[in-house]
Amino acid sequence: MRIQTLLLLFCLVLPQLSSAAGPPKSQDSPQGVSSINPGADLWREVRQRDGEILEGISQVKSVDSGFLINARGDEWARFRITKLSSYGGIAIAAIFVIVTLLYVVRGKIPIEGGLSGRMVRRFTDYERIVHWTLAIVFLFLAITGLILLLGKSLLLPILGKEVFSLFASASKEGHNLFGPLFLVSLIMMFLSFARRNIYENGDLTWLLKGGGLIGKGHVSGGFFNMGEKTWYWMVILIGFVIAISGLILVSPFFGQGRWIMELSHVVHTIGALILMTVSVGHMYLGSIGSEGALEGMKSGYVDINWADAHHDRWGKVCHDENLIVSAEDYARLQGRKPGDTGELATEQGK
Amino acid sequence: MIEYLIDGPLWYFSLAVFCIGVLWQLASIVFAKGKTDLSVARGSAGRGAIRNVFSRFMPHREIAPQIRVQVVAGYMFHLGLFALLFFAAPHVLFLEEHLLGFGWTPMPHWAFIVASQFAFLGLIILWLRRMLNPVSRLISTLDDHVAAILTFIVMLTGCLALLEGFTALRLLHRFSVELLLIYFPFSCLMHTFTFIPSRAFTGAWFGRRGIDA
Repeated sequence: MRIQTLLLLFCLVLPQLSSAAGPPKSQDSPQGVSSINPGADLWREVRQRDGEILEGISQVKSVDSGFLINARGDEWARFRITKLSSYGGIAIAAIFVIVTLLYVVRGKIPIEGGLSGRMVRRFTDYERIVHWTLAIVFLFLAITGLILLLGKSLLLPILGKEVFSLFASASKEGHNLFGPLFLVSLIMMFLSFARRNIYENGDLTWLLKGGGLIGKGHVSGGFFNMGEKTWYWMVILIGFVIAISGLILVSPFFGQGRWIMELSHVVHTIGALILMTVSVGHMYLGSIGSEGALEGMKSGYVDINWADAHHDRWGKVCHDENLIVSAEDYARLQGRKPGDTGELATEQGK
Repeated sequence: MIEYLIDGPLWYFSLAVFCIGVLWQLASIVFAKGKTDLSVARGSAGRGAIRNVFSRFMPHREIAPQIRVQVVAGYMFHLGLFALLFFAAPHVLFLEEHLLGFGWTPMPHWAFIVASQFAFLGLIILWLRRMLNPVSRLISTLDDHVAAILTFIVMLTGCLALLEGFTALRLLHRFSVELLLIYFPFSCLMHTFTFIPSRAFTGAWFGRRGIDA
């Protein structure tokens, strides 16, 4: 009975509604036939398909509140899905392939004459803490960021909707929380290393010789070589762009409109992908790719032969100022028994 | 099943281990029999104890430059963690509903974010210093590393579950808290309760002998 009453009411009200919503009908047009969708013009205006962006009036007074539908949002969403995610994923996969091939072809780049066991101080405890703090925060942000960027296409089919949504939610919270830590550690990195990363004479030669890849022998370098300096300034400059754009994204209450948010998102993602891609190369060259390099960030000391090979101008200063410590003194400084040179002994024995 | 276990029996078990373990450890310290000091007192033990409790909040001028990072990171971590533990809105609500029966005003969301940033950065720096400084590394034990990592996991799972939209994330956080509670009384984490008595004891010992330390 109730359903019948509702149907009757619906039939009575529907003609009134359609006549109120539709355009005024011409007296000449045949009844019941309409070749034009009465809502088409309205929605064309709403979607602003003619290219003219019109702002309406709304009782809600806030940024972009006059726009019923953000037409550019579609473009941004398409760009994110088709370009950013796909090309980003390809870039990350490509760098891993390149690094693997490099390792297979060249292996670990050895030091001429091998490791001597005589060491020289390269980084203080504080400098290494700053480096590893930034590295830990960066890796956490990279992993959670990649889950957010590529997870829908890569993880969702494997994990299923429920598990993936859990991963995505956790990644988003973690990413937003660790973001400001990246900015703080970036400032610490800038203050600690900026002075020694200013470009100087000889750096261009390093670049022209491709860091030693072109021609024979090692290229001359100071405390940091051209490649390291460029990586440092990339981290600082792109890092600041990522951090600022991230803060804009995570704090939408400062009056920034959709356009700024979309731009921030694109800049944030592209910057992060560049840093992630290059960081894989940095991690490779700083660990398994180059003999003796990791020791500098582990203990703060490097082998003098490594310093002479990769940073000869700085190595010369170490020789001239007698900054070299013997293997026994180094072992003692590291809290090992005199004579126990630890990993160095193992590497020398190879 | 897992939800029932974590929210029910495991929670009560871990809470019992924590309470009994902490009380047991404190009682064993209080009732430990030391040698009776027969020497004539040259100063006030009480005054020495109080002075030492407060003076140790700042490092000695002679060693301050060497441990500046450690001190700053230490304060960041401990103050951040204290704020998170007792003033985060979900914690206040939990304590009110499950343990105390009363609550207090929680800190606003922005303060929660700032406190967690402080706590995370402080803990990361402290652990890195432990690993990278040769002396700290030498005197560190497995217990120190386990305690630091467990605390980090508890903080991280808590922040990942911040949205409070997924039961699995909440359970993960609660499970990590329960592991921490069980580990707590048998580890260096006991310094939460012993650092003041320890300072007071040392201060009293020095004070009685008239040593200005």
